[in-house]
Amino acid sequence: MDISSVEPAGLNQPPVELGSDSFAGLYQTHNREIYYLALRLLGDPHKAEDATHDVFLKAYRKQNDFRGDSSWRTWLYRIAINHCSNLRQSWHNRNVIPNSEDSVWENTAARADSPLRVLETKELGQRIQQTLDQLSEEYRLLLLLVADEELSYEEIAALTDQSADAVRGKLHRARKAFAVFFQKTSG
Amino acid sequence: MKQEKKFAPSEQQHASDVRSQQSTEREFASVEELLRYDAEQTIVPAEIAQRLQRSTARFSPPAARPWWKRLFGGANL
Repeated sequence: MDISSVEPAGLNQPPVELGSDSFAGLYQTHNREIYYLALRLLGDPHKAEDATHDVFLKAYRKQNDFRGDSSWRTWLYRIAINHCSNLRQSWHNRNVIPNSEDSVWENTAARADSPLRVLETKELGQRIQQTLDQLSEEYRLLLLLVADEELSYEEIAALTDQSADAVRGKLHRARKAFAVFFQKTSG
Repeated sequence: MKQEKKFAPSEQQHASDVRSQQSTEREFASVEELLRYDAEQTIVPAEIAQRLQRSTARFSPPAARPWWKRLFGGANL
């Protein structure tokens, strides 16, 4: 079964079950998004590799828990978010994230709204990671989720346990914060 | 017959140095666009799939849900 073409079951349809071939298709379809999320949340490629493996293994073992009331990707994202969050809480080496007041971003509206011009260098990924590390965990997660064009605001809201309007408002501030910090990484 | 101009070794090295130092400037309209580009450049380690294959082989596939659970979504009857 080609899992990439399978639509999630609706409320009145039986949940889709995965065989081993379909699980392979599930991995093939969604591995990049899950790995990238883990990479940017954890900031370490080795940790991201372990986390991605653990997320998909959990999905394989818990596939019967999938009710079909969300997409496969959203379900995988939920597992990944919880997994990475648990990892970070267990490390005891969190970066101190300054809880900047909103007025800081309001004063930098002009710069934050301008396009991001960057040199396409191999250091771009490092700059992005440095920038994300400066943000609160919530802002970081929201930006990473909204970057996935397959996720709607409603799905992001469900993943982060808040309303879509709250997501929109926080994303507005998160984008500004990212732009400000990103410009500082250019040296 | 045309004579092909060949770079002298010093010229070849200079050309190579210039090419390696040049970077393309890109413009991203939004943070999301920047992150999407970053994601596209990210290579997922092939080892993950190999590890997963070994890991899932250790577990038997989850038992299929009973037909009535599949039909009614696990509702209590």
